[in-house]
Amino acid sequence: MTPRTCLIVDDSRIIRKVARRIVEGLGFEVDEAADGAEALAFCAGVMPEVILLDWSMPVMDGMTFLRRLRTLPGGTGPKVLFCTIETRAERIAEALSAGADDYVMKPFDGEILTSKFAEVGVV
Amino acid sequence: MTLEDFDRLQSLMASRAGLRLTRDRMKLAEHRLGPVARREGFETVDAMLAALWAKPVASLGWAVIEALLNPETWFRRERASFDTFARELLPALSRARGGEPVKVWSAGCSTGQEAWSLAMAAREAGVAVDIVATDLSQRALEKARSGAYTGFEIQRGLRAETMLRWFDQVEDAWIARAELRAMVHFARANLVDAPTDDHRFDVIFCRHVLDDADPARRSEMFDNLERRLVDDGCLFLGPAERPEGDSIAFRAVAGRGGLFVKSPAALSRAA
Repeated sequence: MTPRTCLIVDDSRIIRKVARRIVEGLGFEVDEAADGAEALAFCAGVMPEVILLDWSMPVMDGMTFLRRLRTLPGGTGPKVLFCTIETRAERIAEALSAGADDYVMKPFDGEILTSKFAEVGVV
Repeated sequence: MTLEDFDRLQSLMASRAGLRLTRDRMKLAEHRLGPVARREGFETVDAMLAALWAKPVASLGWAVIEALLNPETWFRRERASFDTFARELLPALSRARGGEPVKVWSAGCSTGQEAWSLAMAAREAGVAVDIVATDLSQRALEKARSGAYTGFEIQRGLRAETMLRWFDQVEDAWIARAELRAMVHFARANLVDAPTDDHRFDVIFCRHVLDDADPARRSEMFDNLERRLVDDGCLFLGPAERPEGDSIAFRAVAGRGGLFVKSPAALSRAA
C-alpha cells in the first residue's frame, strides 16, 4: 500500500517537528514547508492528502495559501486542517468558510490531532 | 501511603463504588489524593487516610473515592457508536415512540462530553431526546453542568464546525449553548445502587466504566443497567467491553462493536 501523505506548513521548526512525530505515528509520510509559497510550490508538484497549515507565516500566510491551493488543478483534494494560535471564533469561522476542512487551536497534542484526523475521515 | 492504606482504599472503592483499584495504581492514587488532602485541610495524604480509617466520615470517604475514579473522556469517543446512535437507532426509536422523546442515559458521564455528544447527535438527526447523565463524582458533575471546556478539551473529538455551532466562546472557555443544555439533566448516581423507581431508558451509554468494576460486583452492576432498560433497549459499552460472561440478558449486534440489545425481560427470567 502506498503510504498516505501529509504536508506540514509552519514557520516554526519546532512545531513542524512535533506535528511530524504525531502524524508519522498515524502512518503518514510527511513533508514540510516553512511558508505558504513553499507549500504552494510543493503542491503544484505533488498534492498531499492532508495539509496541516499555520495561519501567520512570512512570505505567504496560510489563508492566502489555502485560497490559491483550492484553485490549483486537484487542489480541492487535500483535507486542510488549520493549526494555529489564533483561537477567536470569528477567525475559525473565516478559515472554515475559506475552505479549510477543520481547525486545530494551538496548543494541541497527539490525542487532539488524532481525533481531528479521524473526524475529517483520513484515518 | 502504606500497602495497608492501599488495601483499605481498595476495599473502600469496592464496597462503596463497586470498582476495582488495581495494585499498579498505587502511585497514581497517592498523586491524586494530594490535592484532596490539601483541600480537606490535612498536612499529608497519610494524615488524611489515618483520619479516615480512625473515623470514617462519609464526605471525606466520597472525596477520596471521587479522586480515584478514572475521569478520562472526550467528545465522540469511539465515533462509530455515535454514528450508529444518530443514524440507525434514533430514527427507528423515534418512529416506534410515535415522536415522543427517546430516553437516553449516559451512565458514568464524568465531565459530560459523552452527554453533549449524544445531544448534538440527536439534534443533527432531528430526533427529540431526553438525556439523563449521571456520575459518581460531584466534582465531575459540576464541570459537566457548567458545560465549559478548555481549548484542549473542546477540540478532542469535535470538529471546529461542530464546536462553533454548539458552543459559545467566553474568553478562554467554550460553553455549551442553552439549546444543548436544555436537553441534558445531570444527576449523581451510583451504579451499584439498584433502581428504586420504574424509570426506563431506550438507550444506555455506559462505556469504560464496568471494565473497572470489582469482579464480585460486576454482575450486580450489569443487572442494575439491565433493569433500567426497556425490552429491546440498547446498551453501548466500550468496544472491547462485554456484558457479564454468559449473560443472556443482552445479545451483541453484529458489526456494531460495543452495541448490545436487551432480551425481553420474560425471556431472561424464564431461562
